[in-house]
Amino acid sequence: MKTVVFESVSKIYRTRYYQVVALEDINLEIERGEFIAVMGPSGSGKSTMLNLIGCLDKPTEGEIYIKGTPISGLRDHELTDLRRNTIGFVFQQFNLIPTLSALENIELPMIFRKAEAEERKKRAERLLEIVGLEDVADRKPVEMSGGQQQRVAIARALANNPEILLCDEPTGNLDSKTGEQVMEILSRLREEGVTVVLVTHDESLKRYAERVVRLRDGRIVDVSSVST
Amino acid sequence: MYLQLALRNLSRARVRSVLAVIGIIIGVTAITSIGIFGENLKKTVMESFGDIANEVIVLPNSKEGFSKIDDRTVELIRKFPYPGTVIPVRADSFEVSYKGEKRYVAVYGLDERAITELFKIAEGTADLKSGRCVAGYGIAESLNLRVGSRVVIDGRIYRVSGILEEEGARFDIRPNYAIIIPEKDHPADVSAIIVKLEKLEDIEGFKSYIEATVNIKDEKVEILEMKSILDRIEEAFNQINLFLMAIAGISLLVAGVSILNIMLMSTIERTKEIGIMRAIGAQKVDILKIFLMEAGILGISGSVVGATLSIAGGYFVTKLILGEVSEILNTTTVLFAVEGFAFGVGTAIISGLYPAWRAANLEPIEALRYE
Ligand SMILES: Nc1ncnc2c1ncn2[C@@H]1O[C@H](COP(=O)(O)OP(=O)(O)O)[C@@H](O)[C@H]1O
Ligand SMILES: [Mg+2]
Repeated sequence: MKTVVFESVSKIYRTRYYQVVALEDINLEIERGEFIAVMGPSGSGKSTMLNLIGCLDKPTEGEIYIKGTPISGLRDHELTDLRRNTIGFVFQQFNLIPTLSALENIELPMIFRKAEAEERKKRAERLLEIVGLEDVADRKPVEMSGGQQQRVAIARALANNPEILLCDEPTGNLDSKTGEQVMEILSRLREEGVTVVLVTHDESLKRYAERVVRLRDGRIVDVSSVST
Repeated sequence: MYLQLALRNLSRARVRSVLAVIGIIIGVTAITSIGIFGENLKKTVMESFGDIANEVIVLPNSKEGFSKIDDRTVELIRKFPYPGTVIPVRADSFEVSYKGEKRYVAVYGLDERAITELFKIAEGTADLKSGRCVAGYGIAESLNLRVGSRVVIDGRIYRVSGILEEEGARFDIRPNYAIIIPEKDHPADVSAIIVKLEKLEDIEGFKSYIEATVNIKDEKVEILEMKSILDRIEEAFNQINLFLMAIAGISLLVAGVSILNIMLMSTIERTKEIGIMRAIGAQKVDILKIFLMEAGILGISGSVVGATLSIAGGYFVTKLILGEVSEILNTTTVLFAVEGFAFGVGTAIISGLYPAWRAANLEPIEALRYE
């Protein structure tokens, strides 16, 4: 079973004054454990695509299947359950909760899952270890560098052991060295069987991916395998 | 953990939170201390009526043309088979003179036992042998009467054997400006009978006894129950108190609006955060809980302080206006404090409901895009 399937998906944003076709007739299948890069210029629909996979939004036309489940019929709380249990988000802006420490930020998705406090703490500590940040556990986001924040964000995305990790330009706000560290973590996750969808417009990052999907004006213009 | 999150969010906008709490404190303090003061006022007034709840006054039924109570009625009432005291009252106004000063005053005809039953003697005795009298506090003062003074009442000389203490408000006999002479010396008819029953429960029995004996043919007498009068006075006090508390409640309403306001501001400021939380798996109810908890914390902290303050406040206001307070912590005071607390918390939560609902129902994707 494919992890993600797009079946002639269109997404149109309508406002009172204009409408934007963000995605048009997208067909795409993502395998389990695949590392896929979505590339394209700004405004081409990359984030829209990611948000659709992440069940934050529904397609205007067509259907998306996450692990075989069509999402268009799901209610808000079902989408939330799916998102919490299957999907991890990593954003360009890190998006940590400013009032919470690194450890607490990582615990948060587990709190929403209603996990036991002890289990939460243990797992959060282990995830901090995985991203190499044991020593910043008690720091608030403002007390951490961008690279540290993004690694905490990755740890948070992994909190509920998701099958799919969605990364929207995760290195966009980082210098190349810390960006590299983040990419290393992502490719290690792929090796552990996590499906990674990486949105970027940094051409140098496509070497981490198995496949590159190129978008332009909301359409897929090219899908190519990357030989390593 | 939600609690921690809520606490941290509140401390992030500390000044705002403190102002909201102050609003709640003022509101809770206002309604609670007014409630406590009103209760104390009522108690003081009710106490000044003394122990007259078990009193029943039998009056001639003037609507049916009866202007006096006949001897047979007095006899029948004396035969009422339950414990109590029956005091026939004769009353009229006469000219009273002492050392050349003249007054027109109310003169009651009572027997000696009735005086000790109804009043307290300040000076002298309640001796009401023929030719003796007992003077009320006010008239004694105004005429300069002493024990042993000789006064002329309706052309006859009486010797003052005692002077009464000053009396508070009463419904049966107002003795302050009256003189009491022996019943047998009083020329007027019996105009009222005061019946003091030993048990409150016997009042109903007394009423049906009168219906079955005195009023069997004609409605000769009517019955005035002190208890129902007192009940009505108490009821009036309760209503006034409720009204005052409702006015004080406006300040709580204002506090509620200010909570509504700061919570709405806070949902707008935290739109992005709400989006993030929804993205990482928060259900709508989780968001709702976090915001309601913030409102709840504001409400609880304000109400605890407010309720505590108002116990002190109620005490001081009562002391200032009534001059004395029997006790600070009695059940009614605590009840009002608990009530004020509940109102404070309730107001905060109701005010937080709409902002929390709005926060919970933000579209995750829109919230996430919000900058
Ligand atoms: N919520 C929205 N309302 C209106 N237009 C939107 C919305 N989200 C995205 N768009 C538009 O859709 C197009 C694709 O946006 P996006 O997916 O963010 O592109 P990318 O991530 O590739 O830069 C853009 O033109 C953007 O302005
Ligand atoms: Mg984008």
